[in-house]
Amino acid sequence: MLTEQSAYTNNWRQVSPVAKGCFSLCGMVAAFAAGSPRTALAVAFILSAVTIFGAGVPAMRYLRVAAPPLLFLTASGLSLLISLDFGSSTHGISLHLAEAEFPRIAQVCCRSLASLAALLFLALTTPLSDIISLLRRCKVPDTLLDLMTLCYRTLFVLSEAVHDTITAQSARLGYTSLRLSLRSLGGVVANLTVQVWQRSQALHLAALARNNDGALRFLEPVYPDSPRTISIAATAGGLIIALSMVLP
Amino acid sequence: MSEALLKLENISYRYPDGTAALDNCTLSIRRGKRTVVLGANGAGKTTMFLHLNGILRPSAGQLYWEETPLDYSRRGMRDLRSRVGLVFQNPDSQLFSASVREDVSFGPMNLGLEERIVRDRVADALRAVKMTECADKPVHNLSYGQKKRVCIAGVLAMQPDLVVLDEPMAGLDAAMQKELAAVLDHLHTIGITVIIATHDLDFAYGWADEAIVLRNGRLLAHGNAAEVLLQPDVQTELGASPLVADIATSLTLTGMDVRVNGYLPRSKSELLKAISELHRQENNL
Repeated sequence: MLTEQSAYTNNWRQVSPVAKGCFSLCGMVAAFAAGSPRTALAVAFILSAVTIFGAGVPAMRYLRVAAPPLLFLTASGLSLLISLDFGSSTHGISLHLAEAEFPRIAQVCCRSLASLAALLFLALTTPLSDIISLLRRCKVPDTLLDLMTLCYRTLFVLSEAVHDTITAQSARLGYTSLRLSLRSLGGVVANLTVQVWQRSQALHLAALARNNDGALRFLEPVYPDSPRTISIAATAGGLIIALSMVLP
Repeated sequence: MSEALLKLENISYRYPDGTAALDNCTLSIRRGKRTVVLGANGAGKTTMFLHLNGILRPSAGQLYWEETPLDYSRRGMRDLRSRVGLVFQNPDSQLFSASVREDVSFGPMNLGLEERIVRDRVADALRAVKMTECADKPVHNLSYGQKKRVCIAGVLAMQPDLVVLDEPMAGLDAAMQKELAAVLDHLHTIGITVIIATHDLDFAYGWADEAIVLRNGRLLAHGNAAEVLLQPDVQTELGASPLVADIATSLTLTGMDVRVNGYLPRSKSELLKAISELHRQENNL
């Protein structure tokens, strides 16, 4: 929900999603074009600075959103670096540090970091409905986009339903012990399964009532001054790519 | 102004599990009128509404749109559903998009209209329900009452002749109910025929021109709202009577004639006005 908040309140909310998507894509290209870990780090730094200072996403929020993927990245970095060895030595199991591989692992991790920063830029500045309409313009298949639209909408409906159910269970002492908690959790899952089924039925009826016969079609949002913002974004993105290629 | 827009003739409907939800109902919805549908939970109100929009097809009987039998082909349904807008009770189960503007555009886009026209219609519909300011907000940040109004806008953007609302007042606080009532009045003044299902007898009595009362899927009463809601069998079935009507009748019995042009007042404000008018007259005398 933090991502959601930023997406709707940042300074660049009214900037065309095409411009933001273009900049984000350039960021990703730059991440892969970066020849050394240092350059990739620089790209990551520039992209996050643009998000924090340009789009005005609070730094603390940025870090909180970035924390889970960073944790994941650290874990995978470590697992690349350290390998377990079974039985090849006399001591049974032993740990090996892949020292020779260090530069390559650093390269992969720093590139991932830069790509993450590029993705976070898009996610924190653009609401998902804008991203979906952007993907529609990129000719992504309708079925996929319909699924995204419905998932995004029902995410909030269902999280509210889960919250309500858990509150109701807690009010009747449903989570006072481990055994009861497990039982209540089972109740939430069962209840939600039925709700999902009923709600999908209701949505289907609502779609029929509004004359739907297949793909979900919506009005595309319009953004003021898009050609200008798109060219600015493309230039900035191009500069980052150039920088990542020029730097050693 | 009052020919039948939609006519139900001997409509029966059985759910696949065998429950009879509607049983031989014959009634007509008149153009330009405000109609309420009353009845206990499970009386068949929602089932009837799903028939008006062609989502359910009667097991027996026939529906007519302006005297023409309903055509259940794809084209016929497209035509009917662009004329009859259906607003369900729970807004969360009918809003598709997380963006207000996008969701309102869903119906007109389905009609295959040009983008420019859709844009105008969306703007008009949002203005009609006073939600223009929230057009770019995400749906999940709106209040329950605002979500309801977005649902109504979504139907209005299709420019229907008839708007059917299933318990629109349920779950709204008094202020939001008042705002919604103003929206409903606006629909009436721009010439849209409005039908609502409600449990609020006082609102029904004050607002409606016509009333339909259902009991166990059968039509119990249908006609002028002021008359139907004062019928003893209707009041027994609904377990209540309009408060304003009760007070006005008692006052009249005790010698205070609050009738205006021979009619009992139908809303609180009309009743209060009649009482103060009487009071003024007495003092002048």
